[in-house]
Amino acid sequence: MGPGVIQLEDLWPCLQGMIPAALSTCSADGTPNITFISQIYYVDSTHIAISHQFFNKTHRNVRENPLGCAMMLDPRTLQAYRLQLRFEHSESSGPLFDSMSLQLQAIASHAGMTDVFRLRAADVYEVLCIEHVEGFTQLPTPPPSELPSRLFVDRDLELLRLLAEHLNQSELLGDLLETSLQLLDEWLGFHHAIILLADERNEKFFTIASHGYPENGAGSEVGFGEGLIGMVARARRALRLSAIDHSLRYARAVRDRAEAVAGTEAVCREIPLPGLPGAACQIAVPLVTRGRMVGVLAVESTDPLAFMPREDTILSIVAAQLATGIEQLGRDMEESAPAAPARSRPARHTGPPPRTRNFCFFHADDCVFVDGEYLIRNVPGRILWRLLKQHRDKGRSEFTNRELRMDSWLGLPEIKDNLESRLILLRKRMEQKCPDIRLVPRGRGRFTLEASGPIQLSEKAG
Amino acid sequence: MVVGTRDATLMPECTRAWGIRIGKDRRTVTIFLTETISQKTLKNLRENGQVAISCTRPTDHVACQLKGRLRTVRPANQRDRAHSQQWHREFAQELVAIGVPASVAEAWITGPALAVDIDVTDVFHQTPGPGTGEKV
Repeated sequence: MGPGVIQLEDLWPCLQGMIPAALSTCSADGTPNITFISQIYYVDSTHIAISHQFFNKTHRNVRENPLGCAMMLDPRTLQAYRLQLRFEHSESSGPLFDSMSLQLQAIASHAGMTDVFRLRAADVYEVLCIEHVEGFTQLPTPPPSELPSRLFVDRDLELLRLLAEHLNQSELLGDLLETSLQLLDEWLGFHHAIILLADERNEKFFTIASHGYPENGAGSEVGFGEGLIGMVARARRALRLSAIDHSLRYARAVRDRAEAVAGTEAVCREIPLPGLPGAACQIAVPLVTRGRMVGVLAVESTDPLAFMPREDTILSIVAAQLATGIEQLGRDMEESAPAAPARSRPARHTGPPPRTRNFCFFHADDCVFVDGEYLIRNVPGRILWRLLKQHRDKGRSEFTNRELRMDSWLGLPEIKDNLESRLILLRKRMEQKCPDIRLVPRGRGRFTLEASGPIQLSEKAG
Repeated sequence: MVVGTRDATLMPECTRAWGIRIGKDRRTVTIFLTETISQKTLKNLRENGQVAISCTRPTDHVACQLKGRLRTVRPANQRDRAHSQQWHREFAQELVAIGVPASVAEAWITGPALAVDIDVTDVFHQTPGPGTGEKV
């Protein structure tokens, strides 16, 4: 539909179900059919939906011949509009179906007919053209809609609503982090993002999840007050840097440093922060909930004008959701029942034959190397070492968060131990450095150690 | 009252009719259409004659659908016009009963009308609910 033509949004008064619309269809043998429909639902600027409650002629006709014609009346003046339609598809689940179904059930329950009025499907039609029917009423056509913005939800707002729903459904911290980064990319256009969590003393932030980078960077650290991320954490305010001048490219600076150390990562116990070559635009948003700083969400782009106030606002809303979710899911929780019967299995083996992995534990700084490369240190290092020894000595592969908490050698603090986030960090480092040895979540508070090949352990003093 | 037809490509069309009168033989009906809003409908009727007519009472949604074939299209005579005007008055009262202001309901342009005589082939229940679509 070109400019000057009536847009579906202009017909907002007709789409409120105040006056039934007419819908005519035609069977394959050419017999016309016409019926009243209680409401035409707006889907998007080129689609409408019609409820399918009873098996009827309309339902059959559009599956034989998808064309249809609807006539709607503006309840203010009874101006008429004709819509040429083409049946596109039918939905029996999903957000559109759910909202139509709920509305129908509410009306049905008012009338005491809940079982009778049951939505079978939402039939979605493409709007081929809209015609204002001239000569229908003596009344003048009302001016174009005064308040369509209240009726047609902005796309970003709708996506934020859906994103909030998805985040609320995450039951595990790892799922929450992955879901948020994936949906920020797919729905809202943030293709390169990282989430960092604060350590217990709020001195450092470590990368717990990233999206859109060749290396996941899990475990890389940023000091409080250091660069964009650290400064945002200190100020507890979101900050956007657009069209970044070279001197301000924090990510590049960090990456250059990382590149300098990359070749020596094997001996240098430092992980590079994920960074986009030529990043020209960044936003960092603090993750704060109930006054507690839990981390930072940072995004970047090579397009200097990629981020505008829209992006600040969206990220701040998502950050608030995320912070609350991280705080809640990171707490000590009772483990759930095992999600699936656990097997100690040499599973998912594809590619080259299984190799022997040599893990070495350095007692001086609780650091674990795998095949001579730095893997992880401190509490997650001790956790890994404990798991690997239990696996070797006792053949165990099933573990619970609870037993780790009770293990005094691990030295977890009694409150706010961040165990779940440490396990995620450990899991991601292993994905990066030894993907054939995996920690697989088995519901809340449980996980399995899976190994595709043999493991050898050794220890050194320092 | 709404009227459905289709063209040679099976593209459906719909329009509003301003009244219906049942023939003495009870096998025909006459509906009243205005040329301005029903050009495509009239063209379709003249080309293939096939028509569906749905009558519904706004206050309780009691409805039926007639299927038929065109017999003739002719200018409305005095008797037709009187019938259509009476129908409009009664229908406006129905609309007022569901909350449409009288001035709005009465502003519909129902003339000059064409009288369209239809041979009825089938009648179906169309009141929403189970059993809708059944032949009478």
